[in-house]
Amino acid sequence: MSKPSMKLSLDKKHNLTGWIFLTPGALLILFMSFVPMIKALILSFKTGNGGALTWSDPIFRNYSQMFKDTVFIQSIKNTFFYLIIQVPIMLILALILASILNNRNLRFKGAFRTMIFLPCATSLVAYATVFRTLFANNGLVNLVLTKIGILSQPYSFLTHVWSARIIIVLALLWRWTGYNMVFYLSGLQNIEYSVYEAAKIDGASPMQTFFKITVPLLKPTILLTAIMSTNGTLQLFDESVNLTDGGPANASITMSHYIYNLSFKYVPKFGYAAAMSFLILILVAILAFVQMKVGDKRD
Amino acid sequence: MKRKLMSLLLVGAMTTAMFAGCGSSSDDAASTDNTATTNDAADASTESGSSAEGGKLTVWCWDPAFNIFSMEEAAKVYQKDHPDVDVEVIETPWEDVQTKLTTAATSGDLSSLPDILLMQDNAFQKNVISYPDAFTDLTDSGVDFSQFAAGKTAYSVVDGKNYGVPFDNGAVIACYRTDVLEQAGLTIDDFTDITWDQYIENGKKVLDATGKPLISMQAGECDLIMMMLQSAGSSLFNEDGTANIVNNDTLKVVMETYKELKDTGVLTEVNSWDEYVGSFVSGDVAGTINGCWIMASIKTAEDQNGNWAITDMPSLVGVDDATNYSNNGGSSWAVTSNCQNKDLAFDFLASTFGGSTELYDNILSCGAIATWAPAGDSDKYAEGDDFFGGDAVSAKIVDFATKVPSNITGVYYYEARDAVAVATTNVINGADIATELQTAEDTVNFNMQ
Repeated sequence: MSKPSMKLSLDKKHNLTGWIFLTPGALLILFMSFVPMIKALILSFKTGNGGALTWSDPIFRNYSQMFKDTVFIQSIKNTFFYLIIQVPIMLILALILASILNNRNLRFKGAFRTMIFLPCATSLVAYATVFRTLFANNGLVNLVLTKIGILSQPYSFLTHVWSARIIIVLALLWRWTGYNMVFYLSGLQNIEYSVYEAAKIDGASPMQTFFKITVPLLKPTILLTAIMSTNGTLQLFDESVNLTDGGPANASITMSHYIYNLSFKYVPKFGYAAAMSFLILILVAILAFVQMKVGDKRD
Repeated sequence: MKRKLMSLLLVGAMTTAMFAGCGSSSDDAASTDNTATTNDAADASTESGSSAEGGKLTVWCWDPAFNIFSMEEAAKVYQKDHPDVDVEVIETPWEDVQTKLTTAATSGDLSSLPDILLMQDNAFQKNVISYPDAFTDLTDSGVDFSQFAAGKTAYSVVDGKNYGVPFDNGAVIACYRTDVLEQAGLTIDDFTDITWDQYIENGKKVLDATGKPLISMQAGECDLIMMMLQSAGSSLFNEDGTANIVNNDTLKVVMETYKELKDTGVLTEVNSWDEYVGSFVSGDVAGTINGCWIMASIKTAEDQNGNWAITDMPSLVGVDDATNYSNNGGSSWAVTSNCQNKDLAFDFLASTFGGSTELYDNILSCGAIATWAPAGDSDKYAEGDDFFGGDAVSAKIVDFATKVPSNITGVYYYEARDAVAVATTNVINGADIATELQTAEDTVNFNMQ
């Protein structure tokens, strides 16, 4: 043992212990996460089919190519449709459900919470397949609608553009609302109940308490869920593949689904596919930044 | 030196396998299995040199009732003469075969591949051209390719070299419920050697009499379109690899015919494969047209025993080379470059799938009908099938297969197929055929850049 190390102050010693604990995790993240990311970035500047890749000329060719790709543009539009329609509905629903379930006087709270959260325990592929079966020509939904006389004959939900998209939105709502609700519920636990009692004494209506107390105090959680949902929606894959298979005529294909097709179904173009994934990364980063600027008004 | 390199590689493979284990357990199992096999095979080849004595072959294929069963039968046939050869079949769905192959080939580490894998004919050109290093040239492997149907071997020939041993037949058959046809006053003869116009006329009669469509198809997939196209010897690509969509007059006729089928209600579209199979098994639809492997699905409807009949498909109207025969699906065996004991693999394939009537007789029960000509002469093929009213369906299909016009799949088959599927969906919904075909060709050309 050398002398200087003996002379470490207590503070430094604590720091050192901290770093030792951090190192394995940090190294794993570095090699499993960041190195592949950098490799993918390099890959996105290469062109070629399969394994034979060369530097693209000009270097940003893959990135400029994307904007000429009609299918990719279609997939961006679809993804943003899901994002703009589904995320706000889902977050509002989750917020409403959470504040209802946070009511102290509500009975069987545990049972309701479990029921609403349960969809999150199902596998993505499994629930997508169930939804596909539900909306099949001879599926439950058509059966019910024809039996009660709303439809005279079965409607092919998944082969019509708008119904197919709306079913994906419905499926997403079913799967993820409970998940976001749990975040809100835990956020609500941190709000003192006395605040609500005070509001009640002051004569605030339930609507006023919701908008003046619950929403502002939950802001950080809302921000978190908004960013997570945006991120998740932009990477939407399972539903597009299993529920509609991107159809009809690419009307519901998502960006990740198209990237998958390019890499594994078609003649593999890994460079181009990697470039597209980086576009998604950039989009996620921009949207998260905007949301943070809009949502986080701390002084 | 070689030893050191080998051990280094193995250590590398093991470490990657260990890390890959984080991702998925099945991957891990498969790759460690393969490392083991590599060792076995390497030992075997050093022992025996050229001749194939003992050793082990690993195989990837996907259907337990069909190609896995066939491979296991092949192993039994081969083991009669070579008792010390072990064949290990690992069940791998086709999508996974494709993904694993892509991963192995692009990473340059082929050690995770099996010795032999089954490949969809439609993907053969794409994979061999994209990853030439991953496959073994079988031209001089001892398999006599002249004994296979020419249209079939063409799928696995790249630059004049054979890369695949043909396995199952994809000759198109048209299947009908004779009891339903009867209600409309029709028989199977009214559907034999007919044109699509006659088919639609008959279909309307069946629809009026029973309310049942004649055929169902999966929406967004263009199986029927591709079958119709090939029945007239037409492809989505030219010989030189350029797209043949906008100026393809046959394709226009095909699109028009498909739209008419849909508009008249003779054809109904369903959303998924299980719905498709369900539609004719449950009797909602009076028949189907598909590759002959569809028989296995039809036969699951045991209550309809004896009510089915098989004939050739309708031919296109107003197209010069129109025939009543086409092909859909089918697959071939490929030997990977990871195979350490190639002589054994070659000998195995040559003396089973490329040389054993016994094997083809054994696997006929699961619906695997040979593309290997000598198999068709076997007595087994002439036997009647009670499910299809005592008709000798196997012999019929072998006969159909010989008449199938060959086509060009090209490297970009799946791109073109998807683009045409999009066009079809839009045309059904009222879009103009010419503009949609132009869009499809633009999409394909974009993908080929």
